[in-house]
Amino acid sequence: MPALLAENVTAGYGHSPIINDITLSAELNSVTTIIGPNGAGKSTFAKTLVGILRPTSGRIVVNDVDITRMAGHLIPRHGLVYVPQNDNVFKRLTVRENLEVGGFASRANTAARMEEILDIFTDLQKAVEKKAGFLSGGQQNLLAIARALMVDPSVIMLDEPTAGLSPAYTDVVWSQIARIAKLNTAVLVVEQNVERALKHSDEVHIFVAGRNHVHGAADEIAGLDLASIFLGRSHAS
Amino acid sequence: MQIFWQSVGFGFVTASVLAISAVGLSLQFGITNYINFAYGDFMALGAFFTYVLNSEVFHLNIWIALVVGSLAMGVFAVLINHVIFSPFARRFKKTFYVLIVTFGLSLILLNLEYSIWGADVRFFQMPLAKVMHIGPLLLTRYQLIVMAIAVALMLGVHAMLKTTRLGKSMRAMADNTTLAMTSGIDTRAITTITWFLSGTLAGVSGTVLGITEGNLTPASGELFLFVIFAAVIVGGVGSIYGAMAGALLIGLATEISAAFINPAYKLDTAFVILICTLLLRPSGLFARPGKA
Repeated sequence: MPALLAENVTAGYGHSPIINDITLSAELNSVTTIIGPNGAGKSTFAKTLVGILRPTSGRIVVNDVDITRMAGHLIPRHGLVYVPQNDNVFKRLTVRENLEVGGFASRANTAARMEEILDIFTDLQKAVEKKAGFLSGGQQNLLAIARALMVDPSVIMLDEPTAGLSPAYTDVVWSQIARIAKLNTAVLVVEQNVERALKHSDEVHIFVAGRNHVHGAADEIAGLDLASIFLGRSHAS
Repeated sequence: MQIFWQSVGFGFVTASVLAISAVGLSLQFGITNYINFAYGDFMALGAFFTYVLNSEVFHLNIWIALVVGSLAMGVFAVLINHVIFSPFARRFKKTFYVLIVTFGLSLILLNLEYSIWGADVRFFQMPLAKVMHIGPLLLTRYQLIVMAIAVALMLGVHAMLKTTRLGKSMRAMADNTTLAMTSGIDTRAITTITWFLSGTLAGVSGTVLGITEGNLTPASGELFLFVIFAAVIVGGVGSIYGAMAGALLIGLATEISAAFINPAYKLDTAFVILICTLLLRPSGLFARPGKA
């Protein structure tokens, strides 16, 4: 059983579905990336997984637990955490308080976990008493990932974690993503940058017009005519 | 000079009442992002709960009645949120609509209070208070207790917000509700607790207002609401510490001005400070970015 399984998920805003019949899974110790053109439903799918939006059909299972109708605040306790693209830190709370809040959903010792997390994210060590709103964009993204890791999740969902970052910081974030995947975690990333997604991922899914159009191992996907796929044409090699 | 020091003493007392009410209003605003225009009526209703316990039915000691009456007001605020505000907030995303609902609720509560207790001035059952000299200040025992209650509540709110899991959850939610929810915070429970705290503080402030003024009527809270808004806006809307600072500034300024100009213009002093703040620093002394 994969760490995350989304089966035939349809969801959207009001009565109009944005994503249709999407099936996707993510395995432990791997990076699964969702790419696709703007408006393909990538972020909508992410929000549906974590309970911000409710699916109209289909089911979502994390570690064998069906979370489809679960209240959003209970989902992190079952091992699925989410890092949104924007506004992903509590700006008026300090770095330490952000991490503490991230640990509220965990039954483990928050202080000990915080030590472990700060050992991974050394950039944040010097800024623990700083308000998160005063960190750089890249540091905020790292803090958001660090906060999500406080519950020791089995699945972490990152929505465009490198959007707006400098190339140097983008590499830092992707190297942390690779590191997290090795910590017995399934990493699911929504990414706009196709080249980087293919370089750093194990599995890639291409969403087009609200559907999971093509998926496969990253090196297989790299051999496809992605421009055609993004335009909604069939996937020829 | 004696009049000046006396007005400083009154200023601290008014600031104490203002601080309790302004912090209650700001706590609720920080979580829900809409101003509760019925807050003045919450204050009056809380004071009448205390009045019933102290003077009408149980003849409890005023301070015990204050605790029980204020807690009852907290429960009432939770019920009002569940029955009225939450359904509207869920249905209408624009806070403007809920604002109109708070106006409507204010009218309903005011008239409900008039229909139950009438327009007559009411008094708490309390023994006459001794006047005491505290340095140059001249204060009654009750005024000192009111100031002590305000200081204790401000310290308690500060400690709760800074050190407890509840307080950090409240601050996180005030910062970003969706992120708080996806981080594992039960935002509905936090909203309910916030309404309870805000309602309880409304009950305490309404009662201590009645104690310091020496009487209460259904309109007591509503008349005071404008001064509370002045304190909240001067401090920075939604900022708890701003509300405390705004309360101190407005409380002292209104009472000291009353020593030198006609006391009938006390409210005008608050509005002059409010207008100056809006002109010079529209976001208030302790502004919270990102809030409406």
